Amino acid sequence: MADVALFMADLALGLLLGCVFAVIAHGLNLIWGVAKVVNVAHGEFIMLGAYGAYFLNLWFGFNPLLSVPVDAAIGLAVGVGFYFGFLHRELRGKESMGLQSEMVTLVATFGLALFLINAVQALWTGNNVGIPWSPGVVLVGSIQLPLGGLYVAIMSVAIIGLSHVFLTKTYLGNAIRAYSQDIPATQLVGINPTFTAAVGTALGFCITMAGGALLTVWLPTGIFPAMGNLYAPISFVIVVLGGPGKMWGSLVGGLTLGVIINVGQLFVGSIALATAIGFLTLIPVLLLRPEGLLR
Amino acid sequence: MRLRGIRSFGPTLWGIALFLVVLAGTAPWIPVFLLTVLIQLLIFSTLAYSLNLITGLTGYVSFGHVVFMAFGAYALAFAVGTFHLHPVAGVALGALVGLALALGIGGVTLRFRGVYFAIATLVVAVAASYIVLEIKELGDGQGIILNIGFEPLSWFYTIWVILAIEVILTYWITHGRIGYGVRSIKSDEDAAKALGVNAARVKLFLYALSGLFAGGAGGVYAWTASGVFPQAFDLTFSLQMLAMIVIGGMGTLLGPLIGAVAVYIPSYIFLTVLIGFQFIIIGIVVTLIALFVPEGIVGSLRKYIPELRGILE
Repeated sequence: MADVALFMADLALGLLLGCVFAVIAHGLNLIWGVAKVVNVAHGEFIMLGAYGAYFLNLWFGFNPLLSVPVDAAIGLAVGVGFYFGFLHRELRGKESMGLQSEMVTLVATFGLALFLINAVQALWTGNNVGIPWSPGVVLVGSIQLPLGGLYVAIMSVAIIGLSHVFLTKTYLGNAIRAYSQDIPATQLVGINPTFTAAVGTALGFCITMAGGALLTVWLPTGIFPAMGNLYAPISFVIVVLGGPGKMWGSLVGGLTLGVIINVGQLFVGSIALATAIGFLTLIPVLLLRPEGLLR
Repeated sequence: MRLRGIRSFGPTLWGIALFLVVLAGTAPWIPVFLLTVLIQLLIFSTLAYSLNLITGLTGYVSFGHVVFMAFGAYALAFAVGTFHLHPVAGVALGALVGLALALGIGGVTLRFRGVYFAIATLVVAVAASYIVLEIKELGDGQGIILNIGFEPLSWFYTIWVILAIEVILTYWITHGRIGYGVRSIKSDEDAAKALGVNAARVKLFLYALSGLFAGGAGGVYAWTASGVFPQAFDLTFSLQMLAMIVIGGMGTLLGPLIGAVAVYIPSYIFLTVLIGFQFIIIGIVVTLIALFVPEGIVGSLRKYIPELRGILE
């Protein structure tokens, strides 16, 4: 009986953690879906979002949830810069991304990742920092859930839901989806491809950095320059699990990975092994359902 | 008037050979401190050539290459620590482990193309490091400390032989019959398949070779460090290898060597001044090269100075 309770508690924690995984992967998913580019420096922007929340807490006493909109606004600006710095040259005037362009962006964003990690380390040292904020626990049935994690999960689902509404109900959102499907056709109906792609990329960065701020609630002492080396693979796996470019895919992939890691550690006895298993689910999914778990 | 034999191999291979032979001939008289720097440089060159075999020649970007090096290092440390093998046998074992691992990983991941391959190799490398660090026999996340003396000349000649074989193999692959298949895969894999190139086999062959050499280099790395630590799985090694071939010139014969010198020597100088600072600069350089001169140093020289095309490759 006790085992069932433990299982349920880990399942609930896994679902909560999965929500925040989903939102950090969602930013990558948008960029991947719209610009057809994989941002290797994705983990580093999560890290920057987390540091943003940390400094807002240090200077102004913001809690991580309050710093989400600030991080999101910074993310928009960073995203526009990223689009014109890295993607515009490769995407401009092309109808689809060739393997050559793909390799250029992979290597270029990898250089960016190397730069960001070490620049942050030089600026703010490599020591672990964290935000001392814990709003307590709440009892659901017999399961204790961290209230902070619950807030984060609600906000994560809200962010993904809002981005879905934006992409399906507004003119600009529809333009972004059209761009991701067929570039020449969008130009024929009078949509400016550069503007659309820039907005899509900026939105991706906005969500990524907001996700970094949300993630800090789960990391009482886990903000450090190389944290992206863990969260970038997590995001890649989630996006592939859900299917690149599918907006609900991030949520499905995130919840799957969160549950595998949290429930898996019950069975294999260590969080590292459970994470490894969660990562390796990528291979069968790519082999059997390359379009992702969602239809 | 050139000698026929020299002409047929091309000046680049002769240049590298001369460089290596001079190094080997003078090694016993090089001061020990300088020799250890050279050994590290040769280890990194071996790693760069090994990544060049798959990423440079076929265009499949592998972000997880460090996994072969780390497994090679762990294989040597385990074999020497537990069975008291001679370190050279340990290096050979490391290379074989790298080969076997590459066959296993490559057999699955080489089915994916472009970003999917890059992501799959990265994720497999991270997962493998988590698994190895949990195994008690392999030091339980603490690494294995060996006590095998300080013999820089043995280290030097071991890694020298590995690098020499690797350069010759790279030459043979780019100039032999298989080279046509490799180049056609890089430019258009579907067209290559339609023309009868067994793409899956060629890619797996290259990936296995690159795993073999990276494993051997990892073995020598563990030998010089007299042990192995979880840091051997640090993705920074993957990134350095990629930086070396990007800066030097992907898919060229001389590029990885130039890249290894260009990345490693400044790192070494910076290391004593400000740790981590070198990566800020390497990061910027890699980004700029990838965006503006994707051919790297050797490729650009060939592109802009036509006279060099017959000499550099």
